[in-house]
Amino acid sequence: MSYIILPDVVHYACTCGILKPISKLYFCRHCLELRCGFCVCHEADSHYCDKCAENLPSSEARLKKNRCGNCFDCPSCHQQLSTRAATVGPKNPDDPKAAPRKVFYLLCLLCRWSSRDVGIPDQAAVSGGWPERENIYAHRLQEIQDMYKAIVLSDKQQKLDKDKKKQRRYMSFTDRTGITASMLRKRIGWPDVPNPLLKAKPTELNNKAIAKEEVEEFPEDLLTSPVNLSLATTMEQRLVQPEWQPTTIDKLFPIHKHLSVKRSQRCRSCEHNVSKPEYNPNSIKFKIQLFAYYHIPEVRIITVEPLRAGKVSELLLKFSNPTQHQTSITLFPYKVDDVIACEDNRTEVISQSSEEKGSGSQPSSITHTSLTRQPSITIKPRPIKTRVVADVVVPNASFVLPPRDDAAEYDDSGDAHNIQNDPKIVVWRKSNKAVIKLQVTPNSDLNIGDEVTTAFTIQHIYINTITTVENKEPQKCEHKVKVFLTLGNLVGGS
Amino acid sequence: MTSENNINVMPGAIVCEESKLDGDITIGSHCIIHPAAIISAEAGPIILGDFCLVEEQAKIIHRLRPEQTNNETTPVLIIGSHNVFEIGCTVEAAKIGSNNVFESKCFVSNKVNVTNGCIIGAGCKLIEEQTLKNNTIVYGSKCFQREGLDRPVTQTAQMDTLSKMLPNYHHIRRPMKKDYLN
Amino acid sequence: MEMQDTTYDKSEYVETASGNKVSRKTVLCGSQNIVLQGKVIIQSDAIIRGDLANVRTGRYCIISKEAVIRPPYKQFSKGVAFFPMTIGDHVYVGERSAVSAAIIGSYVYIGKNVVIGRRCVLKDCCIIEDNAIIAPETIIPPFTRYGGSPGMEVGSVPECQQDLMIDFTRSYYQHFVPARIL
Repeated sequence: MSYIILPDVVHYACTCGILKPISKLYFCRHCLELRCGFCVCHEADSHYCDKCAENLPSSEARLKKNRCGNCFDCPSCHQQLSTRAATVGPKNPDDPKAAPRKVFYLLCLLCRWSSRDVGIPDQAAVSGGWPERENIYAHRLQEIQDMYKAIVLSDKQQKLDKDKKKQRRYMSFTDRTGITASMLRKRIGWPDVPNPLLKAKPTELNNKAIAKEEVEEFPEDLLTSPVNLSLATTMEQRLVQPEWQPTTIDKLFPIHKHLSVKRSQRCRSCEHNVSKPEYNPNSIKFKIQLFAYYHIPEVRIITVEPLRAGKVSELLLKFSNPTQHQTSITLFPYKVDDVIACEDNRTEVISQSSEEKGSGSQPSSITHTSLTRQPSITIKPRPIKTRVVADVVVPNASFVLPPRDDAAEYDDSGDAHNIQNDPKIVVWRKSNKAVIKLQVTPNSDLNIGDEVTTAFTIQHIYINTITTVENKEPQKCEHKVKVFLTLGNLVGGS
Repeated sequence: MTSENNINVMPGAIVCEESKLDGDITIGSHCIIHPAAIISAEAGPIILGDFCLVEEQAKIIHRLRPEQTNNETTPVLIIGSHNVFEIGCTVEAAKIGSNNVFESKCFVSNKVNVTNGCIIGAGCKLIEEQTLKNNTIVYGSKCFQREGLDRPVTQTAQMDTLSKMLPNYHHIRRPMKKDYLN
Repeated sequence: MEMQDTTYDKSEYVETASGNKVSRKTVLCGSQNIVLQGKVIIQSDAIIRGDLANVRTGRYCIISKEAVIRPPYKQFSKGVAFFPMTIGDHVYVGERSAVSAAIIGSYVYIGKNVVIGRRCVLKDCCIIEDNAIIAPETIIPPFTRYGGSPGMEVGSVPECQQDLMIDFTRSYYQHFVPARIL
């Protein structure tokens, strides 16, 4: 419940040093590390429209500027527009046998804007057929874009030529016989195709933009005519359509709906996917789902006694094991200098990849020909900034959590596990959950009303079910996670 | 403040027994009042026009403005015909015309004058003193106002269906007999 | 945080064989058309209009106090018909919300005071924040978070939302215990 509406009180430290609740973390099974949203690469898997749930291939999406062809948004309140039917009586009053036709118009159900408000004629077809507006500057923008594309291409060619310094070892057909490809073409009778490398000369723009000195005359009636604010558009209405930016409401035309994206996440260090959704936009299943919620024990605060500076309070925590294997949990105290030191190899990788990118890292919308993956950037783990102001007395013994059993809710026979417990630590048990009692002492130098944060490290035994060629059995490894708890405000002084 | 309930239901109106009607209320013909609707005539009688639709948790309250407490005559709230009061709306307006739609969970205070053909959008709260022009559409949390082209579509089709369905499931208040009116 | 116990007055609630806990103070119209799949909690003063059309909920649904579940209507050429309403599993509907959606998927969280317009389609795993007003006929895609008035997309939902909602509704049901008289 807390992950949906309440503020998060339990945070896990990701390997990059950012604290996140467990619902927002991923667990990479190959590196055996926690990853957060910043340590993974987000990739757009598929584009789909929210409303018609239609998938669009990415090339078509780019062509249509990431907008759906059939669905529209209301220009005045940005909600989805729905199509409504109206019947038109028989066209000829002399011919009463003609069946009344159905015509369709767009209507917004929130602000009751309709396509009739701006004068768009009703369409005979249910979808499609809505008139598309041509931007008056579209031709000029296309010219400028083409010019820049040519410049980038020629830059690339120049680079390639520079690198191609090595001589070819073999003789080409032309060197041996003296016949070039264009001669052969002429002989056969085919039209001559010029060498593409020769063509890449950036063409100058025909009409460049020239700055003008003269300005339009100020219309005097702006000062005298009465203002009718209800006819002017608001800034949001204008800016949501940057190409046209209508100033009056009679120029508000429906906007094509933006497409949404299904994204998959990939661990930056090992390039394996941690999350991959299904292709169908309506499906909530995942092809690959390596979420931390399913692999790392979850910690929840049950109760904490009112905190007083310097005095011991009792803290009850609930641990639950989400995996299908039994795990044993040991708690360790948290040390501030326990940060993973970054390896020197990683810094070298960062500097290399930043050099290679150069011009290639420009926005790919201009020269994008295929979906190429950007080289991954490894992130240096940074120290955790949260101040820990309370100490937790960590028990020496470890406790065992049985595996998760989904059928247990229907089985009333009770727990079959006979686990030896230290009753001082483990207060309550049920299937894969256990409640632990801990003592927490806030620092004595805190003031009343300060927020108390405490931390400790959990070590749990993680069974990695990925089988590689070398080891065919699932591997056991000990995985450490740092957990930070926000326990509330201090109520008493020392 | 009337302590006794004086409820007159015109013939053709369907008023569910589970609605709460307090005070001196006259309900026009072919009105439909859903269960859990609240009509409270605190400050004076309410006359509801014909073909009105009042849905669940809607509250029509005739409240006095604070400066009018010393008046001798009791003001009557006359509500026009073909009005729709959707789920959870709270309407305390002093004057209500015809063909209006009060959408879900809107709030109209008693300083507002609602004319004809207005649509008060869902969740809108009209508190300040104002008169809404004909065919005004109010929408959004900031209560943007737009001029509509014409008045909203009447809900007669829905009301026909409801008048056939509701008597099957609810106890209906008995309307006055037609002879009584003559 | 772990869920705290929510207590209720034992005499007020009826528990059925399939584990549904329904308060006696609710307004359930047309109860023969309402199908509660199992382990559903319907708290006091909720209104479910089964008289208009069939209402079907999945397992572990929670309908909080004063919520209104009302099937939407659709205008056809031959008149108006009320559409049956389906609610998926593990859905939480907050207090005082007015829900008129056509289809609600599974694992959906609807906050307090929400207005869901008519014939909306809420797909699985979406979250509607408190006080949101969703325009009629909106289609809300999976894993989105809608809020504000008018309802716009304000964020995204973590991918493990399905398990989070299952856990939330299950523990709410387990902690919904009768108040013990000490």
